[in-house]
Amino acid sequence: MNKKTLTMVVNGKTVEKMVEPGDTLLDVLREELGLKGVKKGCGKGECGACTIIMNGKAVNSCIVPAMQAVGAEIQTIEGLSNGNGLHPLQQTFIDCGAIQCGFCTPGMIMSSKALLDKNLKPTKEEIKQALAGNVCRCTGFVKIEEAVEKAAEILKNGK
Amino acid sequence: MKNYSVVGKRLPRYDGTQKAVGAPCFTSDVSLPGMLYAKVLRSPYPHARIVNIDTTKAEQLPGVAAVICHKNTTSKLFNTSATIVFTLPPLVPVKDQRIFDDVVRYVGDEVAAVAAETEEIAQEALKLIEVEYEQLPSVFDPKEANKEEAPDLQGPREHGKNLPGEKIHLELGDIQKGFEDADYIFEHEFKLPVQKQCQMETMAAVATIDADGKITVYSSTQTVHPSRAILADLFDVPYSKVRVLSPPFIGGGFGVRIGLSAKAEPIAIALAQKAKRPVKVVYDREEDFTSSDTRHSGYVYLKTGVKKDGTFTARMMKAVLNAGAYCSFSTETHGVLGCMGLSLYSCPNQYYDGIAVYTNTTPSGAMRGFGSPQASTAIEAQLDIIAEELGIDRREISKKNMMKVGGEWVLPYQCQSIALEECIDQGAAAIGWDKKGTFDNSGSVKRGIGMACGTHVSNAWPFCGDYSNAYVNIQQDGSVQIAVGSPEMGTGVQTTLSQMVSETLGVTMDKIEVTIADTESSPFEIGAHASRTCYVVGMAVTQAAAQVKKEALEFAAKLLAERESCIYCAQDVQDLDIVDNMIVSKSNPNKKISLREVTIQAQFKGEQFIGVAKVVPQNAPPWLAHFADVSVDTETGKVTVNKLVAAHDVGRAINPTIVEGQIEGGLAQGYGYALTEEILYDENGRQLNTGFHKYMLPTAVDLPELQAIIVESDEPTHPFNVKGVGETGLIATAAAIMNAVYDAIGVRFFEIPMTEEKIYMALQESLKSCE
Amino acid sequence: MINDYVLPKTVEDALAALKQGNAKLIAGGTDLMLDLKSCKAAADTLVDINGIKELKGIKESDGNIIIGAGTTHQEVAESFLIQEKAVVLAKASGSVGSLQIRNTATVVGNIVNAQPAADAAVALVALGAEAEIVDKEGTIYQPVENLYAGLAKCKVDSSCQIITAVRFPALFSNQGSAYVRLAKRGALALPMLCVAVAASLKDGKIEWVRIVMAPVSTKPLRALEAEELLKDKEPSEEVILEASKKAAAMADPRDSKLRGSRAYRSSVLVNLVKRGITEAIKNARQ
Repeated sequence: MNKKTLTMVVNGKTVEKMVEPGDTLLDVLREELGLKGVKKGCGKGECGACTIIMNGKAVNSCIVPAMQAVGAEIQTIEGLSNGNGLHPLQQTFIDCGAIQCGFCTPGMIMSSKALLDKNLKPTKEEIKQALAGNVCRCTGFVKIEEAVEKAAEILKNGK
Repeated sequence: MKNYSVVGKRLPRYDGTQKAVGAPCFTSDVSLPGMLYAKVLRSPYPHARIVNIDTTKAEQLPGVAAVICHKNTTSKLFNTSATIVFTLPPLVPVKDQRIFDDVVRYVGDEVAAVAAETEEIAQEALKLIEVEYEQLPSVFDPKEANKEEAPDLQGPREHGKNLPGEKIHLELGDIQKGFEDADYIFEHEFKLPVQKQCQMETMAAVATIDADGKITVYSSTQTVHPSRAILADLFDVPYSKVRVLSPPFIGGGFGVRIGLSAKAEPIAIALAQKAKRPVKVVYDREEDFTSSDTRHSGYVYLKTGVKKDGTFTARMMKAVLNAGAYCSFSTETHGVLGCMGLSLYSCPNQYYDGIAVYTNTTPSGAMRGFGSPQASTAIEAQLDIIAEELGIDRREISKKNMMKVGGEWVLPYQCQSIALEECIDQGAAAIGWDKKGTFDNSGSVKRGIGMACGTHVSNAWPFCGDYSNAYVNIQQDGSVQIAVGSPEMGTGVQTTLSQMVSETLGVTMDKIEVTIADTESSPFEIGAHASRTCYVVGMAVTQAAAQVKKEALEFAAKLLAERESCIYCAQDVQDLDIVDNMIVSKSNPNKKISLREVTIQAQFKGEQFIGVAKVVPQNAPPWLAHFADVSVDTETGKVTVNKLVAAHDVGRAINPTIVEGQIEGGLAQGYGYALTEEILYDENGRQLNTGFHKYMLPTAVDLPELQAIIVESDEPTHPFNVKGVGETGLIATAAAIMNAVYDAIGVRFFEIPMTEEKIYMALQESLKSCE
Repeated sequence: MINDYVLPKTVEDALAALKQGNAKLIAGGTDLMLDLKSCKAAADTLVDINGIKELKGIKESDGNIIIGAGTTHQEVAESFLIQEKAVVLAKASGSVGSLQIRNTATVVGNIVNAQPAADAAVALVALGAEAEIVDKEGTIYQPVENLYAGLAKCKVDSSCQIITAVRFPALFSNQGSAYVRLAKRGALALPMLCVAVAASLKDGKIEWVRIVMAPVSTKPLRALEAEELLKDKEPSEEVILEASKKAAAMADPRDSKLRGSRAYRSSVLVNLVKRGITEAIKNARQ
């Protein structure tokens, strides 16, 4: 098998990995780069647990071919609190009780971040749409939506 | 009720930060040196004998380290569920599973497993295993399986053909007289669907065996100690030589892993023994659907006698549940269904018959609510009919008949608190009950409001044995370590238990650490199920904290007495208390010494403060009233839920944010149970809904506004008046939605989920019959 | 087994790459990656078109809207141009899967996959869209509705042809469109039924209308008789209902335990078509 060179920027750092051409981005992030915050909940793009931000957009890393990330800018949950304490989303998720089992949390926060990166005044409906691809079986979403609203507030005032 | 300084506060979760940063804290994140990856070959047939199995080619595939099947693994019988460990005599636990058997009994049953260097190689090797099956007759419906002519699925059984366990029969008063006394008798049967837990982390285990044969298993189980017992018995090693632990968290449970994580643990161990290397088993989502327990589907029949004023005179219930291919919890679920179903209301004459029947579907086991959602759905939908027929307000008929403190019921303990009336009143106000019947329903979209009540448990007794133990130790610097065997599966146990200990002991939350779910460092614990952790383990840690506090204060009193500047002597211990890590005199608050200093001094005298508690609990029923506001599009049959309200008598909320989270999550699962969630089987016994794309659990855009209302009551059986809240959120949700749908469109349903098709077709039917 | 993954920069390079062994084009890959994993599809080389700049984006030219093959559903759903001049497509693309899927999956992928219920393809048929197909002989244009060769089979030969874009006439201000979808869930769900309608009004009458229904056949199904019935009529409730019944009568939905029985879908389809036509006309009047 011909391994291919994949060069991408992950959480601000350029990484180069030899990957198999059929690998998914999830395989590479989770197994090769050890970013275990990228969860595998279904492997079929049906639950959002593996959500990462690729070139500014939330995607399911479990169905993105790794090679599609050539030259891409990737953010995972591990990149959010880089040295500067928790990201406002991480903090509000904790404060609002938006975390229960925590398995959906990294993907949920990444979807939320992709939304807030573009829109600091999201309506309830926009939040719901942004999170519709992230399955959570614990919370009923009430406190997650509240956490996103609060984080938006903090980020807006911080800017 | 008493006021507390830590208990009752909305403190942030202990495990929040780790989860928010995506720390590797789940079994699926565990990686050990030399670890192999396993894959499981599963039966494509619902019932078949394995005539021949040849694994030679798989074993020869490069990268394969071990292949196991029924020919080279133990044939010992076990039960993947924890019932095997705490079934109380004279009942005997049902053991009807093997790791692999030469008969497969459902599509997805285990046939063989491979451990290899990578998951891909293991997957490839499965294709090389040659299996010759002889298909056997199969049956999928419990009523069919209960007939004379049904195929015999498990050989001779003590309680009857295809019955895994005993029939449950309950009686109170004289049921015949009760029906004679009735002015009206109502008779209905309800059909309940297969619901799936859909916990986000699939079944997972990583097993490693050291040179001495000691087994360590990282596991997604909700019950580490019972799981250890099952595994040690199965592999014939002393309990002390098996360690089962959480790594440290579990990605949700909802009952599906009370006991083993399906067969992840035994397969991992058997492969690790053979390969002599660590083995990781992680079910994919499809396997999690086909091959881990579901909620029991089945039928609930109700015959209810009432007086004209709505007073019950007789309540008869019968349940026939689908056990699926193996017993799991099918000796208990119909018991809870009957007991808790009957105990929601007072009635002098009661009667229940319940069975669970083997079929060739995925086994049914524990899922949040454990029989109570099935009971409540039927009972509360029927009560809506009764109230309407008698012309009584729906709220009033529930209030009139509701259980009273000390009221007679079929349970062997007393009801000691009930705030159901407050739940009904507060819930009704929140949903806007007064609007009921006032909506403009002249268009094609029709709106309605409905309600339903329910109850459940705060632990597993008397359905199973129930007890807990806890250690609470004051460390040499005055900080505190709690050790319990409970897992953290999302319910916030570390936070809640710490709050109770902090309150009791006077040590601040930041100084408390909780060791959880490790058979080697925590005392025996039957695990997280039956809404029991806050109640029973809460009792245990509170008791241990009180004990350790007493030890510390006695030592402090002596220490202070020895100091010449101090006015204390030993008998002054009653005057001492611990407040915010300081030991203070109640009579003279200026007199104080830090707990840290006391523990340092204690160390010099060779003394540590260790609290140990052993608790055998009573039980306490939580009470709840749910309300739904819905709109039904009569041109498509689609139901839109506008709002759900749940008012719960939780005793006391130790951490209201966590309690609300439990109720809201339950409401979401109840929404699915009512409207969209169901596993269907095709005629060959294959599940049709084997992933999140086909199994319609609700997403963020489906769920309406959810309002959780906490109602507190003075429950005397718990030191902080706690009652169970882990399961209650979904118990009455389906019935509330059913009743709201009726209010909107005037058509009753006796089956859930109420899909758009069922509603639309029923509307068409009712139009026809009007013409 | 995937042995190679190539990222050509031009359509010519992509065509050349396709010649090597069993190669398959990949754009979003949301379906293909799963099909490869489950062995429903096989390939040893993946030819990724995301590096081809000319295949990206949405533009308007000579009254036509042109959507490149590398354009995702979300880009289409968010495009003001599409929202204004082909709202049926914005709605259809916006209802695919989830945001994560829409950020990856492409509109043209919906055509190539040839699933009868693929939302965007249903809308494209209503818009009278044509696919731009390139091979070594040159470029040809084919109506999207003619590209279906049976269930989940596209006539485009993916071993030597590439759909590079779709194009359709932008709707004028006297024209409107609508997308109606019935699904079991608000996200992550294929439709039980969907209806796409485009209509043109002239002097208060229906100049033309295109009504497309799915999944009620092996491909998005045009309700030609209903379209004919509505032509030159004033859009009254009665005539819309009549046309809707005619349309639904043409449908041949399967019995599906997952997505509804034939009886249910046939019956409820009348209401969905009615809603689609009504909304498209309302949209045309605005």
